[in-house]
Amino acid sequence: MLTPSHLVHLHLLLNHFPTVGMIVGLGLFLLALLKKSEDLKRGALAVFFAIALISLPTYMSGYSAQRSLRGVRTVSQDVINFHQRSALLALIFMETTGIVAWYGLWYSRTRASMGPRITAAAVLLSAVTIGLMASAANVGSEIRHPEILTDPKTPISTEGILAPRWLASEFITKYQYSHPWAWKSLETIHFMGLCLLFGVVVVANLRLLGWMRNAPLEGFHRLLPWGVWGFVANSVTGMLFFIGQAFQYIENPAFHLKMLCILVAGADVLYLTWHEEVWQIKAGATASALVKVLAASQIVLWIGVIYFGRMLPYIGNAF
Amino acid sequence: MAVLQWIQDLPISAAIAESDSLWWGYAWWLFVHAVGMGLTAGIGFIVCLRLLGVGRQIPLSSLRVLFPLFWVGFYVNLVSGTLLFMTDATGIARVWELYAKLVCLVLALVAMSRLRRFVDSTDGDAMIPPSIQKTAVACLVLWLAVITSGRLIAYAVEARGAVA
Repeated sequence: MLTPSHLVHLHLLLNHFPTVGMIVGLGLFLLALLKKSEDLKRGALAVFFAIALISLPTYMSGYSAQRSLRGVRTVSQDVINFHQRSALLALIFMETTGIVAWYGLWYSRTRASMGPRITAAAVLLSAVTIGLMASAANVGSEIRHPEILTDPKTPISTEGILAPRWLASEFITKYQYSHPWAWKSLETIHFMGLCLLFGVVVVANLRLLGWMRNAPLEGFHRLLPWGVWGFVANSVTGMLFFIGQAFQYIENPAFHLKMLCILVAGADVLYLTWHEEVWQIKAGATASALVKVLAASQIVLWIGVIYFGRMLPYIGNAF
Repeated sequence: MAVLQWIQDLPISAAIAESDSLWWGYAWWLFVHAVGMGLTAGIGFIVCLRLLGVGRQIPLSSLRVLFPLFWVGFYVNLVSGTLLFMTDATGIARVWELYAKLVCLVLALVAMSRLRRFVDSTDGDAMIPPSIQKTAVACLVLWLAVITSGRLIAYAVEARGAVA
Protein backbone atom coordinates (compact mmCIF):
# COMPACT_ATOMS: atom_id res chain seq x y z
CA MET A 1 0.00 0.00 0.00
CA LEU A 2 1.01 3.61 -0.46
CA THR A 3 2.68 5.03 2.62
CA PRO A 4 2.69 8.78 3.44
CA SER A 5 6.27 8.89 2.13
CA HIS A 6 5.18 7.40 -1.22
CA LEU A 7 2.46 10.03 -1.44
CA VAL A 8 4.93 12.87 -0.88
CA HIS A 9 7.17 11.46 -3.62
CA LEU A 10 4.12 11.13 -5.84
CA HIS A 11 3.33 14.81 -5.28
CA LEU A 12 6.87 15.85 -6.17
CA LEU A 13 6.77 13.69 -9.29
CA LEU A 14 3.28 14.58 -10.51
CA ASN A 15 3.44 18.31 -9.81
CA HIS A 16 5.34 18.91 -13.05
CA PHE A 17 2.68 17.37 -15.25
CA PRO A 18 -0.13 19.95 -15.07
CA THR A 19 1.95 22.99 -16.11
CA VAL A 20 4.19 21.24 -18.63
CA GLY A 21 1.41 19.03 -20.01
CA MET A 22 -0.97 21.94 -20.52
CA ILE A 23 1.73 23.98 -22.29
CA VAL A 24 2.31 21.05 -24.68
CA GLY A 25 -1.48 20.67 -25.15
CA LEU A 26 -2.05 24.36 -25.86
CA GLY A 27 0.95 24.38 -28.23
CA LEU A 28 -0.57 21.47 -30.14
CA PHE A 29 -3.94 23.20 -30.20
CA LEU A 30 -2.51 26.45 -31.59
CA LEU A 31 -0.51 24.50 -34.19
CA ALA A 32 -3.75 22.72 -35.16
CA LEU A 33 -5.50 26.09 -35.62
CA LEU A 34 -2.60 27.28 -37.79
CA LYS A 35 -2.60 24.10 -39.90
CA LYS A 36 -6.42 23.93 -39.83
CA SER A 37 -6.16 20.31 -38.75
CA GLU A 38 -9.19 18.92 -36.90
CA ASP A 39 -7.29 15.72 -36.08
CA LEU A 40 -4.50 17.61 -34.37
CA LYS A 41 -7.10 19.64 -32.47
CA ARG A 42 -8.64 16.43 -31.21
CA GLY A 43 -5.17 15.27 -30.20
CA ALA A 44 -4.69 18.45 -28.16
CA LEU A 45 -8.07 17.92 -26.47
CA ALA A 46 -7.05 14.37 -25.56
CA VAL A 47 -3.91 15.83 -23.91
CA PHE A 48 -6.06 18.30 -21.92
CA PHE A 49 -8.33 15.47 -20.77
CA ALA A 50 -5.40 13.26 -19.72
CA ILE A 51 -3.73 16.09 -17.80
CA ALA A 52 -7.04 16.87 -16.07
CA LEU A 53 -7.09 13.26 -14.83
CA ILE A 54 -3.47 13.39 -13.62
CA SER A 55 -4.12 16.70 -11.85
CA LEU A 56 -6.51 14.99 -9.40
CA PRO A 57 -3.85 12.84 -7.64
CA THR A 58 -1.41 15.75 -7.98
CA TYR A 59 -3.66 17.99 -5.91
CA MET A 60 -4.66 15.29 -3.44
CA SER A 61 -1.13 14.06 -2.66
CA GLY A 62 -0.30 17.65 -1.72
CA TYR A 63 -2.05 17.05 1.61
CA SER A 64 0.48 14.34 2.46
CA ALA A 65 3.33 16.66 1.51
CA GLN A 66 1.80 19.31 3.77
CA ARG A 67 1.51 16.88 6.66
CA SER A 68 5.12 15.73 6.22
CA LEU A 69 6.26 19.34 6.71
CA ARG A 70 4.24 19.90 9.89
CA GLY A 71 6.47 21.16 12.68
CA VAL A 72 9.45 21.78 10.37
CA ARG A 73 10.73 25.16 11.59
CA THR A 74 12.31 26.38 8.36
CA VAL A 75 9.02 26.00 6.52
CA SER A 76 6.23 28.56 6.68
CA GLN A 77 2.73 27.08 7.08
CA ASP A 78 1.33 30.31 5.60
CA VAL A 79 3.23 29.70 2.38
CA ILE A 80 1.91 26.10 2.28
CA ASN A 81 -1.67 27.28 2.78
CA PHE A 82 -1.17 29.94 0.10
CA HIS A 83 0.14 27.23 -2.26
CA GLN A 84 -2.85 25.03 -1.46
CA ARG A 85 -5.41 27.75 -2.16
CA SER A 86 -3.82 28.76 -5.45
CA ALA A 87 -3.50 25.08 -6.44
CA LEU A 88 -7.23 24.59 -5.81
CA LEU A 89 -8.13 27.55 -8.02
CA ALA A 90 -5.85 26.12 -10.73
CA LEU A 91 -7.44 22.69 -10.28
CA ILE A 92 -10.95 24.11 -10.75
CA PHE A 93 -9.89 25.63 -14.08
CA MET A 94 -7.97 22.48 -15.01
CA GLU A 95 -10.98 20.22 -14.48
CA THR A 96 -13.28 22.63 -16.33
CA THR A 97 -10.81 22.51 -19.24
CA GLY A 98 -10.86 18.69 -19.04
CA ILE A 99 -14.66 18.57 -19.25
CA VAL A 100 -14.74 21.04 -22.17
CA ALA A 101 -12.04 18.93 -23.87
CA TRP A 102 -14.12 15.76 -23.47
CA TYR A 103 -17.20 17.58 -24.74
CA GLY A 104 -15.21 18.84 -27.76
CA LEU A 105 -14.04 15.30 -28.56
CA TRP A 106 -17.59 14.00 -28.23
CA TYR A 107 -19.18 16.86 -30.20
CA SER A 108 -16.72 16.90 -33.09
CA ARG A 109 -17.17 13.19 -33.84
CA THR A 110 -20.26 13.68 -35.98
CA ARG A 111 -19.34 17.10 -37.34
CA ALA A 112 -16.74 18.41 -39.77
CA SER A 113 -15.46 20.99 -37.31
CA MET A 114 -15.40 21.62 -33.59
CA GLY A 115 -17.10 24.98 -33.99
CA PRO A 116 -15.91 28.37 -32.79
CA ARG A 117 -17.40 28.16 -29.27
CA ILE A 118 -15.63 25.00 -28.15
CA THR A 119 -12.43 26.15 -29.85
CA ALA A 120 -12.48 29.52 -28.09
CA ALA A 121 -13.39 27.91 -24.75
CA ALA A 122 -10.56 25.37 -25.04
CA VAL A 123 -7.93 28.05 -25.88
CA LEU A 124 -9.06 30.47 -23.17
CA LEU A 125 -9.51 27.90 -20.42
CA SER A 126 -6.23 26.14 -21.11
CA ALA A 127 -4.34 29.45 -21.24
CA VAL A 128 -5.84 30.58 -17.92
CA THR A 129 -5.12 27.15 -16.43
CA ILE A 130 -1.45 27.36 -17.45
CA GLY A 131 -1.15 30.75 -15.76
CA LEU A 132 -2.81 29.56 -12.56
CA MET A 133 -0.87 26.27 -12.48
CA ALA A 134 2.42 28.07 -13.03
CA SER A 135 1.62 30.53 -10.27
CA ALA A 136 0.61 27.71 -7.88
CA ALA A 137 3.76 25.78 -8.77
CA ASN A 138 5.85 28.89 -8.22
CA VAL A 139 4.52 29.32 -4.68
CA GLY A 140 5.01 25.58 -4.16
CA SER A 141 8.69 25.83 -5.05
CA GLU A 142 9.15 28.59 -2.47
CA ILE A 143 8.02 26.24 0.33
CA ARG A 144 11.33 24.39 0.34
CA HIS A 145 13.64 26.62 -1.70
CA PRO A 146 13.75 30.08 -0.14
CA GLU A 147 17.25 30.49 -1.69
CA ILE A 148 15.70 31.07 -5.13
CA LEU A 149 13.88 34.21 -3.99
CA THR A 150 15.30 37.48 -5.31
CA ASP A 151 15.31 38.89 -1.81
CA PRO A 152 15.22 36.03 0.73
CA LYS A 153 14.98 38.51 3.64
CA THR A 154 11.54 39.84 2.68
CA PRO A 155 8.78 37.46 3.76
CA ILE A 156 6.87 35.86 0.89
CA SER A 157 3.46 37.40 0.35
CA THR A 158 0.76 34.89 1.31
CA GLU A 159 -2.28 36.78 0.12
CA GLY A 160 -3.50 37.34 -3.40
CA ILE A 161 -6.54 37.30 -5.62
CA LEU A 162 -5.27 34.09 -7.19
CA ALA A 163 -5.60 32.35 -3.82
CA PRO A 164 -8.89 33.50 -2.29
CA ARG A 165 -9.56 32.76 1.39
CA TRP A 166 -12.77 30.83 0.68
CA LEU A 167 -10.75 28.18 -1.12
CA ALA A 168 -8.91 27.31 2.10
CA SER A 169 -9.50 23.77 3.37
CA GLU A 170 -10.23 25.10 6.87
CA PHE A 171 -12.92 27.37 5.47
CA ILE A 172 -14.64 24.44 3.72
CA THR A 173 -14.24 22.18 6.79
CA LYS A 174 -15.76 24.83 9.07
CA TYR A 175 -18.65 25.32 6.69
CA GLN A 176 -19.35 21.59 6.69
CA TYR A 177 -19.30 21.45 10.50
CA SER A 178 -21.50 24.52 10.98
CA HIS A 179 -24.04 23.43 8.34
CA PRO A 180 -24.84 19.74 8.92
CA TRP A 181 -27.23 19.69 5.95
CA ALA A 182 -24.33 20.52 3.63
CA TRP A 183 -22.69 17.09 4.01
CA LYS A 184 -26.06 15.30 3.74
CA SER A 185 -26.95 17.18 0.56
CA LEU A 186 -23.55 16.50 -0.98
CA GLU A 187 -23.90 12.78 -0.20
CA THR A 188 -27.38 12.70 -1.73
CA ILE A 189 -26.15 14.38 -4.93
CA HIS A 190 -23.18 11.99 -4.95
CA PHE A 191 -25.60 9.02 -4.95
CA MET A 192 -27.76 10.55 -7.71
CA GLY A 193 -24.65 11.13 -9.84
CA LEU A 194 -23.63 7.53 -9.17
CA CYS A 195 -26.94 6.24 -10.58
CA LEU A 196 -26.78 8.43 -13.67
CA LEU A 197 -23.15 7.54 -14.42
CA PHE A 198 -23.59 3.84 -13.65
CA GLY A 199 -26.78 3.62 -15.72
CA VAL A 200 -25.01 5.00 -18.81
CA VAL A 201 -21.93 2.84 -18.17
CA VAL A 202 -23.98 -0.36 -17.89
CA VAL A 203 -26.28 0.28 -20.84
CA ALA A 204 -23.65 1.58 -23.33
CA ASN A 205 -21.13 -1.14 -22.45
CA LEU A 206 -23.73 -3.92 -22.59
CA ARG A 207 -24.44 -2.80 -26.17
CA LEU A 208 -20.72 -3.08 -26.94
CA LEU A 209 -20.77 -6.54 -25.39
CA GLY A 210 -23.54 -7.61 -27.76
CA TRP A 211 -26.84 -6.85 -26.00
CA MET A 212 -29.50 -4.77 -27.81
CA ARG A 213 -27.91 -5.63 -31.14
CA ASN A 214 -30.71 -4.08 -33.18
CA ALA A 215 -29.70 -0.62 -31.91
CA PRO A 216 -26.91 1.31 -33.68
CA LEU A 217 -24.10 2.63 -31.45
CA GLU A 218 -24.97 6.14 -32.62
CA GLY A 219 -27.90 6.27 -30.17
CA PHE A 220 -25.70 5.33 -27.23
CA HIS A 221 -23.26 8.06 -28.24
CA ARG A 222 -26.03 10.56 -27.40
CA LEU A 223 -26.29 9.11 -23.91
CA LEU A 224 -22.61 9.67 -23.09
CA PRO A 225 -22.89 13.35 -22.00
CA TRP A 226 -25.48 12.27 -19.40
CA GLY A 227 -22.98 9.85 -17.93
CA VAL A 228 -20.39 12.60 -17.94
CA TRP A 229 -22.77 14.98 -16.13
CA GLY A 230 -23.13 12.28 -13.50
CA PHE A 231 -19.34 12.10 -13.27
CA VAL A 232 -19.06 15.90 -13.01
CA ALA A 233 -21.63 15.97 -10.18
CA ASN A 234 -19.67 13.29 -8.37
CA SER A 235 -16.28 14.91 -8.93
CA VAL A 236 -17.50 18.22 -7.52
CA THR A 237 -19.23 16.66 -4.50
CA GLY A 238 -16.39 14.17 -4.04
CA MET A 239 -13.75 16.91 -4.09
CA LEU A 240 -15.77 18.87 -1.50
CA PHE A 241 -15.68 15.80 0.80
CA PHE A 242 -11.97 15.42 0.15
CA ILE A 243 -11.03 19.07 0.69
CA GLY A 244 -13.14 19.31 3.84
CA GLN A 245 -11.82 16.08 5.40
CA ALA A 246 -8.62 15.36 3.47
CA PHE A 247 -7.01 13.24 6.20
CA GLN A 248 -9.88 10.78 6.21
CA TYR A 249 -8.98 9.97 2.64
CA ILE A 250 -5.42 10.71 1.67
CA GLU A 251 -3.83 7.86 3.63
CA ASN A 252 -6.83 5.53 3.30
CA PRO A 253 -6.04 2.41 1.17
CA ALA A 254 -9.69 2.14 0.03
CA PHE A 255 -9.42 5.69 -1.30
CA HIS A 256 -6.19 4.91 -3.19
CA LEU A 257 -7.89 1.96 -4.89
CA LYS A 258 -10.97 4.04 -5.65
CA MET A 259 -8.83 6.74 -7.31
CA LEU A 260 -6.88 4.07 -9.23
CA CYS A 261 -10.15 2.63 -10.60
CA ILE A 262 -11.34 6.14 -11.57
CA LEU A 263 -8.10 6.99 -13.38
CA VAL A 264 -8.01 3.71 -15.33
CA ALA A 265 -11.73 4.01 -16.15
CA GLY A 266 -11.06 7.63 -17.24
CA ALA A 267 -8.31 6.50 -19.62
CA ASP A 268 -10.73 3.87 -20.93
CA VAL A 269 -13.39 6.55 -21.52
CA LEU A 270 -10.84 8.65 -23.43
CA TYR A 271 -10.00 5.67 -25.67
CA LEU A 272 -13.64 4.84 -26.33
CA THR A 273 -14.56 8.50 -27.00
CA TRP A 274 -11.60 8.89 -29.34
CA HIS A 275 -12.00 5.77 -31.44
CA GLU A 276 -14.31 6.41 -34.33
CA GLU A 277 -14.85 2.76 -35.27
CA VAL A 278 -16.60 2.10 -31.94
CA TRP A 279 -19.40 4.53 -32.76
CA GLN A 280 -19.77 3.46 -36.38
CA ILE A 281 -21.05 0.04 -35.34
CA LYS A 282 -24.39 -0.27 -37.13
CA ALA A 283 -27.58 -1.97 -36.01
CA GLY A 284 -27.01 -5.73 -35.95
CA ALA A 285 -23.19 -5.49 -35.91
CA THR A 286 -20.89 -6.34 -32.99
CA ALA A 287 -17.74 -4.73 -31.61
CA SER A 288 -14.16 -6.00 -31.96
CA ALA A 289 -12.65 -8.21 -29.28
CA LEU A 290 -10.49 -5.32 -27.93
CA VAL A 291 -13.52 -3.05 -27.58
CA LYS A 292 -15.41 -5.85 -25.81
CA VAL A 293 -12.57 -6.25 -23.32
CA LEU A 294 -12.61 -2.49 -22.70
CA ALA A 295 -16.38 -2.49 -22.32
CA ALA A 296 -16.26 -5.32 -19.76
CA SER A 297 -13.41 -3.58 -17.91
CA GLN A 298 -15.47 -0.37 -17.76
CA ILE A 299 -18.29 -2.15 -15.94
CA VAL A 300 -15.87 -3.88 -13.55
CA LEU A 301 -13.93 -0.66 -12.88
CA TRP A 302 -17.03 1.39 -12.01
CA ILE A 303 -18.28 -1.39 -9.71
CA GLY A 304 -14.78 -1.17 -8.17
CA VAL A 305 -15.24 2.59 -7.70
CA ILE A 306 -18.53 1.92 -5.87
CA TYR A 307 -16.96 -0.88 -3.82
CA PHE A 308 -13.97 1.10 -2.60
CA GLY A 309 -16.11 4.20 -2.09
CA ARG A 310 -18.48 2.24 0.13
CA MET A 311 -15.51 0.64 1.94
CA LEU A 312 -13.89 3.99 2.86
CA PRO A 313 -15.03 3.66 6.51
CA TYR A 314 -14.49 -0.11 6.70
CA ILE A 315 -11.11 -0.75 5.05
CA GLY A 316 -9.86 2.71 5.90
CA ASN A 317 -10.63 5.31 8.51
CA ALA A 318 -13.29 7.55 6.93
CA PHE A 319 -16.65 8.07 8.58
CA MET B 1 -42.75 -3.21 19.07
CA ALA B 2 -42.11 -6.80 19.94
CA VAL B 3 -42.03 -8.00 16.31
CA LEU B 4 -39.30 -5.52 15.40
CA GLN B 5 -37.26 -6.55 18.41
CA TRP B 6 -37.75 -10.21 17.44
CA ILE B 7 -36.53 -9.48 13.87
CA GLN B 8 -33.53 -7.65 15.19
CA ASP B 9 -32.68 -10.50 17.56
CA LEU B 10 -32.79 -13.17 14.85
CA PRO B 11 -29.40 -14.88 14.56
CA ILE B 12 -28.96 -13.69 10.94
CA SER B 13 -29.63 -10.02 11.84
CA ALA B 14 -27.24 -10.09 14.75
CA ALA B 15 -24.60 -11.93 12.67
CA ILE B 16 -24.68 -9.25 9.93
CA ALA B 17 -24.83 -6.35 12.37
CA GLU B 18 -21.87 -7.58 14.40
CA SER B 19 -19.73 -8.92 11.56
CA ASP B 20 -16.60 -6.94 10.74
CA SER B 21 -16.04 -9.13 7.70
CA LEU B 22 -15.77 -7.37 4.34
CA TRP B 23 -17.49 -10.44 2.87
CA TRP B 24 -21.09 -10.99 3.94
CA GLY B 25 -20.83 -8.54 6.82
CA TYR B 26 -22.68 -5.22 7.17
CA ALA B 27 -20.22 -3.39 4.86
CA TRP B 28 -20.71 -5.99 2.14
CA TRP B 29 -24.49 -5.56 2.13
CA LEU B 30 -24.13 -1.77 2.01
CA PHE B 31 -21.98 -2.21 -1.10
CA VAL B 32 -24.47 -4.62 -2.70
CA HIS B 33 -27.25 -2.14 -1.94
CA ALA B 34 -25.28 0.65 -3.69
CA VAL B 35 -24.70 -1.43 -6.84
CA GLY B 36 -28.36 -2.48 -6.86
CA MET B 37 -29.32 1.19 -6.55
CA GLY B 38 -27.06 2.03 -9.52
CA LEU B 39 -28.72 -0.68 -11.63
CA THR B 40 -32.31 0.06 -10.64
CA ALA B 41 -32.32 3.87 -10.64
CA GLY B 42 -29.63 4.01 -13.37
CA ILE B 43 -31.64 1.92 -15.82
CA GLY B 44 -34.77 3.81 -14.73
CA PHE B 45 -33.01 7.07 -15.69
CA ILE B 46 -31.92 5.71 -19.10
CA VAL B 47 -35.40 4.44 -20.00
CA CYS B 48 -36.96 7.78 -18.99
CA LEU B 49 -34.32 9.81 -20.88
CA ARG B 50 -34.87 7.77 -24.05
CA LEU B 51 -38.63 8.27 -23.80
CA LEU B 52 -37.99 12.00 -23.39
CA GLY B 53 -36.01 12.06 -26.64
CA VAL B 54 -32.35 11.43 -25.71
CA GLY B 55 -30.66 8.93 -28.06
CA ARG B 56 -33.51 8.76 -30.58
CA GLN B 57 -31.46 6.39 -32.73
CA ILE B 58 -31.95 3.65 -30.14
CA PRO B 59 -35.10 1.78 -31.26
CA LEU B 60 -37.69 1.68 -28.48
CA SER B 61 -37.81 -2.11 -28.87
CA SER B 62 -34.15 -2.25 -27.74
CA LEU B 63 -35.22 -0.94 -24.34
CA ARG B 64 -37.12 -4.17 -23.69
CA VAL B 65 -34.04 -6.14 -22.64
CA LEU B 66 -33.26 -3.48 -20.04
CA PHE B 67 -36.36 -4.25 -17.96
CA PRO B 68 -35.22 -7.71 -16.80
CA LEU B 69 -31.92 -6.13 -15.73
CA PHE B 70 -33.88 -3.43 -13.91
CA TRP B 71 -35.74 -6.16 -12.01
CA VAL B 72 -32.46 -7.90 -11.16
CA GLY B 73 -31.33 -4.64 -9.56
CA PHE B 74 -34.66 -4.31 -7.79
CA TYR B 75 -34.56 -7.82 -6.27
CA VAL B 76 -30.91 -7.43 -5.27
CA ASN B 77 -31.96 -4.34 -3.33
CA LEU B 78 -35.08 -5.92 -1.93
CA VAL B 79 -32.87 -8.64 -0.38
CA SER B 80 -29.95 -6.38 0.66
CA GLY B 81 -32.34 -3.66 1.89
CA THR B 82 -34.31 -6.16 3.98
CA LEU B 83 -31.11 -7.53 5.51
CA LEU B 84 -29.87 -4.02 6.32
CA PHE B 85 -33.26 -3.22 7.88
CA MET B 86 -33.13 -6.39 10.01
CA THR B 87 -29.82 -5.38 11.60
CA ASP B 88 -31.52 -2.37 13.24
CA ALA B 89 -35.25 -2.93 12.79
CA THR B 90 -36.30 -1.04 15.93
CA GLY B 91 -34.19 2.00 15.00
CA ILE B 92 -35.03 2.20 11.29
CA ALA B 93 -38.78 1.60 11.74
CA ARG B 94 -38.91 4.72 13.91
CA VAL B 95 -37.88 7.23 11.20
CA TRP B 96 -40.46 8.65 8.77
CA GLU B 97 -37.87 8.73 5.97
CA LEU B 98 -38.23 4.95 5.65
CA TYR B 99 -41.96 5.22 4.90
CA ALA B 100 -41.39 8.15 2.50
CA LYS B 101 -38.90 5.98 0.63
CA LEU B 102 -41.25 3.00 0.43
CA VAL B 103 -44.13 5.15 -0.85
CA CYS B 104 -41.91 6.79 -3.52
CA LEU B 105 -40.56 3.36 -4.46
CA VAL B 106 -44.03 1.88 -5.00
CA LEU B 107 -45.04 4.91 -7.11
CA ALA B 108 -41.78 4.65 -9.13
CA LEU B 109 -42.52 0.97 -9.81
CA VAL B 110 -46.06 1.82 -10.96
CA ALA B 111 -44.61 4.46 -13.32
CA MET B 112 -41.98 2.00 -14.60
CA SER B 113 -44.61 -0.65 -15.38
CA ARG B 114 -46.62 1.92 -17.29
CA LEU B 115 -43.51 2.80 -19.34
CA ARG B 116 -42.84 -0.89 -19.88
CA ARG B 117 -46.34 -1.53 -21.21
CA PHE B 118 -45.81 1.31 -23.70
CA VAL B 119 -42.38 0.02 -24.79
CA ASP B 120 -43.75 -3.51 -25.20
CA SER B 121 -46.75 -2.40 -27.24
CA THR B 122 -44.96 -0.06 -29.63
CA ASP B 123 -43.11 -1.23 -32.70
CA GLY B 124 -40.55 0.83 -34.56
CA ASP B 125 -40.23 4.49 -33.72
CA ALA B 126 -43.74 5.71 -33.20
CA MET B 127 -44.29 9.13 -31.68
CA ILE B 128 -44.10 9.08 -27.91
CA PRO B 129 -47.47 10.33 -26.60
CA PRO B 130 -47.42 13.25 -24.13
CA SER B 131 -48.97 11.10 -21.40
CA ILE B 132 -45.99 8.72 -21.58
CA GLN B 133 -43.59 11.67 -21.53
CA LYS B 134 -45.29 13.00 -18.42
CA THR B 135 -45.02 9.58 -16.80
CA ALA B 136 -41.30 9.52 -17.68
CA VAL B 137 -40.75 12.91 -15.99
CA ALA B 138 -42.67 11.75 -12.90
CA CYS B 139 -40.67 8.54 -12.89
CA LEU B 140 -37.33 10.46 -12.97
CA VAL B 141 -38.46 12.64 -10.07
CA LEU B 142 -39.64 9.60 -8.10
CA TRP B 143 -36.28 7.82 -8.49
CA LEU B 144 -34.51 10.96 -7.27
CA ALA B 145 -36.91 11.00 -4.29
CA VAL B 146 -36.20 7.31 -3.54
CA ILE B 147 -32.43 7.98 -3.56
CA THR B 148 -32.81 11.09 -1.37
CA SER B 149 -35.09 9.52 1.24
CA GLY B 150 -32.94 6.37 1.29
CA ARG B 151 -29.82 8.43 1.93
CA LEU B 152 -31.60 10.38 4.67
CA ILE B 153 -32.65 7.20 6.53
CA ALA B 154 -29.02 6.66 7.57
CA TYR B 155 -28.70 10.18 9.00
CA ALA B 156 -32.11 10.10 10.68
CA VAL B 157 -31.40 6.78 12.42
CA GLU B 158 -28.05 8.17 13.62
CA ALA B 159 -29.68 11.34 14.98
CA ARG B 160 -32.57 9.53 16.73
CA GLY B 161 -30.13 7.00 18.13
CA ALA B 162 -28.10 9.80 19.71
CA VAL B 163 -31.22 11.24 21.40
CA ALA B 164 -32.51 7.89 22.73
